[in-house]
Amino acid sequence: MEKPTVGIYGLTGCAGDQLVILNCEDELLDIAGALDIKFFPMAMTGNDEECPLDIVFVEGSVVQPKEVEMLKKLRERAKLLIAIGTCAVWGGVQAMKNEIPRDEMKRKVYGPEGKVFDVISAQPLSNFVKVDLAISGCPIEKEQLLHAVASLLHGDLPRLPTYAVCTECKMAEYPCLLLEKGQLCMGPLTVAGCKARCPSYGQPCRGCRGPVEEANAASEAKLLKEKGFTWLDIQNRLRTFAASADSLKIESIKEGTNA
Amino acid sequence: MKIVKLPKKNLAEFIGHLNSFGQIHAPVKRGEKSFVFAPVTELTEIELNCNRTILPLKKYFFKPVETMFNFCAQKGYEVPVEEQDKKYIIFGVHPCDIHGLKILDMVFSGRYVDSYYFARRRRALIIGLDCTPDELCFCRSTGTDFVDSGFDLFLSDIDDSYLVRVGTSIGDDMVTAADSLFREVEKEDREKYKAKSIQRRESFQTEIQLQDFPGIMDLEYESQVWEEVGEECLSCGTCSMVCPTCYCYAVFDELNLDAESGQRKRRWDSCLFKDYALVAGGHNFRAERSSRVKNRFFHKQRGFVTQYGRPSCVGCGRCKAYCPAGIDIVEVVNKLRSQTRV
Amino acid sequence: MSNRKDCSGCQNPYTPQMARIIRILPQIQDHQLFQIQFEDQQLVKSFTYRPGQFVMLSVIGTGEAPFSISSSPTHAGVIELCVRRIGHVTDALFKLAPNTMVGIRGPYGNGFPIEQLEGNNILLIAGGLGMAPLRSLLNYVLDNRSKFKDVILMYGARNPEEMLFKYELLNLIDLADVKCLLTVDKDESKTWKAYTGVVTNLFEHVDINPAQTYAAICGPEIMFKFVLEKLLQRNFPKDRILMSLERNMQCGVGKCGHCMIGCKYTCLDGPIFTYWDAINLPEMI
Repeated sequence: MEKPTVGIYGLTGCAGDQLVILNCEDELLDIAGALDIKFFPMAMTGNDEECPLDIVFVEGSVVQPKEVEMLKKLRERAKLLIAIGTCAVWGGVQAMKNEIPRDEMKRKVYGPEGKVFDVISAQPLSNFVKVDLAISGCPIEKEQLLHAVASLLHGDLPRLPTYAVCTECKMAEYPCLLLEKGQLCMGPLTVAGCKARCPSYGQPCRGCRGPVEEANAASEAKLLKEKGFTWLDIQNRLRTFAASADSLKIESIKEGTNA
Repeated sequence: MKIVKLPKKNLAEFIGHLNSFGQIHAPVKRGEKSFVFAPVTELTEIELNCNRTILPLKKYFFKPVETMFNFCAQKGYEVPVEEQDKKYIIFGVHPCDIHGLKILDMVFSGRYVDSYYFARRRRALIIGLDCTPDELCFCRSTGTDFVDSGFDLFLSDIDDSYLVRVGTSIGDDMVTAADSLFREVEKEDREKYKAKSIQRRESFQTEIQLQDFPGIMDLEYESQVWEEVGEECLSCGTCSMVCPTCYCYAVFDELNLDAESGQRKRRWDSCLFKDYALVAGGHNFRAERSSRVKNRFFHKQRGFVTQYGRPSCVGCGRCKAYCPAGIDIVEVVNKLRSQTRV
Repeated sequence: MSNRKDCSGCQNPYTPQMARIIRILPQIQDHQLFQIQFEDQQLVKSFTYRPGQFVMLSVIGTGEAPFSISSSPTHAGVIELCVRRIGHVTDALFKLAPNTMVGIRGPYGNGFPIEQLEGNNILLIAGGLGMAPLRSLLNYVLDNRSKFKDVILMYGARNPEEMLFKYELLNLIDLADVKCLLTVDKDESKTWKAYTGVVTNLFEHVDINPAQTYAAICGPEIMFKFVLEKLLQRNFPKDRILMSLERNMQCGVGKCGHCMIGCKYTCLDGPIFTYWDAINLPEMI
């Protein structure tokens, strides 16, 4: 079998997901051996920006018109486009305040000089192109990445967890931070795959992996209010990583239409 | 059944003796209010007054995630080698959890026997311990507040001692090996046991009527209650994970980087997950959350009765205790009971 | 410890047996017939099944899924599975070439109650891929023709291009052994020689005594509804209407829970259920 040609691109984000690839220390040689990596500027020189690609991994969210163009070109070049990381899948933290007009945002952050930046609201890849596989996480989980690469080499798309962090948290028998400590935990809404890493350290889930399908944010918001959290606390937590997700849209939860 | 007496002051020494029969697992504290079954070597580590652990005993026999097969293109599917002989003792198991185990034994046996479950099950020795019900316990309503089988030893508290019922031959070996620690049961002990039994029965704070419930489930199949519970439910899977008798699992293959070999695994699943009844092609037989909630209750309280002659709920209270949304089975049952459908 | 089972000698019910794809026969768009044979010669001889039963097929490295058997047990040695490319496992299966190894375990499910069917008229009603399990029963009945009274097949497809086993079934039209009624919803090519219209229209060509007939139905959910209506109009006893149902199945042996309907496992108690079962089980159809 010919090695698939692969490109690894970063749009706007912290490059942490690309770093996870490089952090696969034990498996790096196997990955490099199995894939024909054509573009990975974070890790190599001599990158090819034109060749057709079997698989392109794209990190980061789209925040500039030129990134839209770049992404569309990547989609044309690649047979499979894979979003890696919560920014690429859901918009990430930079999409937290999308409701504020960009001009106002630029002025607030950069002052009058802000005008020079040509930005749009931060959005996930799927707002612009077809995404064949979404591997979320902030950053992505190494194990999921490796299984995904293996499945792709086999010719399949991997099957990633669709259930909530609570499931993995219970499997590991971590005391429930919502119930035992009354903490603002996003476990019930957040898609699993991290093996409940934050709760394992006694930290509530922040929702960094984005929501499960059909996340019941209205019920979560209700129970958090009963625990004494303010609507502002809840809103802030809901939109930290995946403000663009329909199921987490705070407007609809407030109106109670999301239940 | 052989019954002996173990003075409480001898329990620590008895636990010490037990180490020679296998590794001991017992409830220990985790976090501020939670408990888990975990390996111990001495009595001081054990929380004798623990009411419920986060996970029930199923985690020992039916693992949250386990490898069913290693596979490769050349050799096909091979069962991973697991240590077959080492026994282990699970100490401090309450009647509800023993009943839960008996239910799982039924589910995993039958026409097709789940070899993974029973390979581990037959290595486990169960030492039961009675308990005082808290506000979440309703095992009396489910008929699981007392056990007469399913244990190797069962300890009942009679103030300064335990009455120890000996359920199996190996249970007897454990007693005989520490013979000097045990005493004969005397009249006074028998009276204490009987008094304690009544006292325990009277201490239940939660009771629901379940005997006729299968019929009510049928009648209230279209009840509005399911919509209401469906709105609350987070589909987070917690209730299924912590339930002693939830046994659903999902099977998936994980490939190694050679893209040829890998593992076929199974993990605990929940009928509350959106994709639980999804078939290839996209049809979902339970797309609505309310229908999934209903299915879980229906299977426990109605379907299981037809299949196995009793509901599969053992009244342990875990689903209520750990549901983030506070869904309370007792409340749901009572709502259904008192509801008149329009 | 009466409940504690000793498992030292028991077999692992989940172990796929290695089998080879002998031949792949393309059917209609996105449907192929896979002919599969066990590697173990002993198994080739001993493996038998009932029409209506299914197997769990593993594509090595991808996963496992249930498939109803399309061949008849009267033709031993090779198992035929008629597969629609529709999901994770079937996508991978369609990429395999003849001679590739797959895993097979089974057969599972109750299958059609063939002994009970003997001495009766058999009315088979299929829509779309529903022909896959019914082909097994059809061929079984035809191979044991003397044990059954009248045999009628009613099969509907959207158009002639989407009719499964078309040539095989067209060949039956002229036989005296079976009344083979084939219909298509639409015939844009104008080449179709049999009926047009929905499958329920075929009832007008059938005169059959319900009390001495078993009806076996398999097809899309919507078809069940209309076919049942017709059968009940004709006073078919509810327990003489047999339906083959589909559910999510991950174990095939009544453990994983996914195929549970009310108090029945589709994989153990089904996939063949009577209409009476359906009335008694919520959400079955």
